[in-house]
Amino acid sequence: MALDMIQIRNLKTYFFQGKGLLSKLFGQGLKIVHAVDGVSLTIKKGRTFGLVGESGCGKSTLGNTIFRLVEPLEGEILFQGRDVVKMDQKELREFRQQAQIIFQDQFACMNPRMTAGQIIAEPLMMRQGEQERQKNIEQEVIELLNAVNLDPDAAVKFPNEFSGGQARRIGVARAIALNPLFIMADEPTSGLDISTAATILNLMQDLQEEMDITYLWVSHNLNQVKYMADDMAVMYLGKVVEVGQTREVFDHMAHPYTQALISAVPQVDSSEHKETIFLEGEVPSPIDPPSGCYFRTRCPHAFERCEQEEPPLIDLGGGHFCACHLHNNN
Amino acid sequence: MSEHLLEVNNLTLDYNLGSRKMQALGQVSFSLDKGQVLGVAGESGCGKSTLGLAILRLLPRVAEIRRGEVLFNGTDLLKLSEEQMEREIRGQKITMIFQNPQNALNPVFKIENQMIDILRVQEKYQNPGSRKRRRDFKQQAIERLESTGIADPEARVSNYPFEFSGGMKQRVMIGMALSSGTSLLLADEATTALDVTIEAQINRLITELADKYGTSILYITHNLGVLSEMADRIMIMYAGRIFEMGNTEAVFGSPRHPYSAALLESLPSRQTKGKRLLTIPGIVPALDRLPSGCSFHPRCAFAEEVCRQEVPPLIEVDKGHWSACLLDQKRGRKKWHWT
Repeated sequence: MALDMIQIRNLKTYFFQGKGLLSKLFGQGLKIVHAVDGVSLTIKKGRTFGLVGESGCGKSTLGNTIFRLVEPLEGEILFQGRDVVKMDQKELREFRQQAQIIFQDQFACMNPRMTAGQIIAEPLMMRQGEQERQKNIEQEVIELLNAVNLDPDAAVKFPNEFSGGQARRIGVARAIALNPLFIMADEPTSGLDISTAATILNLMQDLQEEMDITYLWVSHNLNQVKYMADDMAVMYLGKVVEVGQTREVFDHMAHPYTQALISAVPQVDSSEHKETIFLEGEVPSPIDPPSGCYFRTRCPHAFERCEQEEPPLIDLGGGHFCACHLHNNN
Repeated sequence: MSEHLLEVNNLTLDYNLGSRKMQALGQVSFSLDKGQVLGVAGESGCGKSTLGLAILRLLPRVAEIRRGEVLFNGTDLLKLSEEQMEREIRGQKITMIFQNPQNALNPVFKIENQMIDILRVQEKYQNPGSRKRRRDFKQQAIERLESTGIADPEARVSNYPFEFSGGMKQRVMIGMALSSGTSLLLADEATTALDVTIEAQINRLITELADKYGTSILYITHNLGVLSEMADRIMIMYAGRIFEMGNTEAVFGSPRHPYSAALLESLPSRQTKGKRLLTIPGIVPALDRLPSGCSFHPRCAFAEEVCRQEVPPLIEVDKGHWSACLLDQKRGRKKWHWT
């Protein structure tokens, strides 16, 4: 039985609009964006957890909340049993050494005036209580560059000299610099060409094997999540609508949203062409979500109960859960 | 005279950047029939967008077309005057939609004003003596919006672009681009920025409207999955050249060029979990430093001496299936197993 790396319990992250002076003067009410709305998940140690959903479903906010880049309203985030929400600054610093993020826009998170070597060395210099090892940093940077299959020459180059794929590798090198236990990868291959994306996926799988890292893989690319993730969750409007082992979710998708999402993914192999389930309309605003089930406004199977009652996550067996009244026998 | 709607012959195009000369398109030849969807795929920098822009002659000044012709209904577009292009072709018979509809819509004007502008120009060139009023154009704009599936078009037409979501903006672009007069639509990464469920909606809309008006589509994208579902025929490009071309099932089912085979093998959707993905060694070459012979030879696992020396011509290797690989042509039908 795999141990739990991260347990999220009933996590809520709301954003408040209209708190400012102008809105008060002009009498606009407070608007609440339900970005993450009561999410519970367990990410197991040494595995890859895929988080999928369309833009605006709250998957990035959920990831950012885990790192307390955004403060949650309520809920618990247990990192190896310790609640991240309750950590003070000192504990947070320690936590953020063990947990790292690879951001989507790698160029945006590199200082254009620093060389790749300096960028990768930064986390190493931040490491506390190891002053005597500081002189070895140069050596460590070269080892890290090696680990992500970049030339040692790359250390003296500036970000603008790198291609998209190389920049991504630097992001990976920086993330693994402090031997983290957990890495969140937010759309790690978006904007990359097919063969470049494949090299990044291979690299991250190799690192996972060598260093026993747990990944939270945030992506809207379902083909990739199917390939990379052991477990996965599908989010819609800030809620998890289906969660389970990736294979189980793909083979026996239970939620109508998951079915539509997976059917809409274009496949190269004509044998895998499925009848696309077209969802009408667009994702409703998270400021004013529909009553009952959030998905009912676009759901082809919606019935009366969906409007009145919010569906709970129902256990379908084998760790597969789905929040839909179609599976609710109570 | 040819019966093809579009026939591109030997199109060769350079970008002149000071002392550097980059060949962006090299002897590109293909044809597209009425009502057909031709998919153009390839990695960034392979010239697929340049091709679309070259057909409409919207290239930057540094581009120089060195050879070739672009026959549209038998007329060489490269020989038309700028005025003729503007009056008869652009936005009339050939239209284009881009990846980012945000950039194609002016944020400070209402959707109706922007649509009416287009309709007015189209009307001016199609019926020079027309006395249509603004009212009529607005009605027409509403009809176009309605045809793209936007709910409540009477109200939405007076919105500003920021009030539309990405998918809706792309619908507006399609509404402007596709009408009964359009014979050819160039779609350049039209759905790349959209979520999969919205992408499916937009692609369905493009297909429906194109069917209705008998419009042919040149569908440019790097997403092979989308092409597999949209295109009748596929063209794989690399470093400005066509490497392979043929029916969708043929190209994806039994690729005749090692590069196409490698692209397909590097897709996660084709691989089971835990198995390594194929990666092509090296990177796409810079266009001003193209390797000798076949531009793919430094990265190709099968390359032989002859690949370094000769530029492979695009040859019909099977009925309607073209490939530009000397080895394939020498040995005949062969499967390219990279792993």
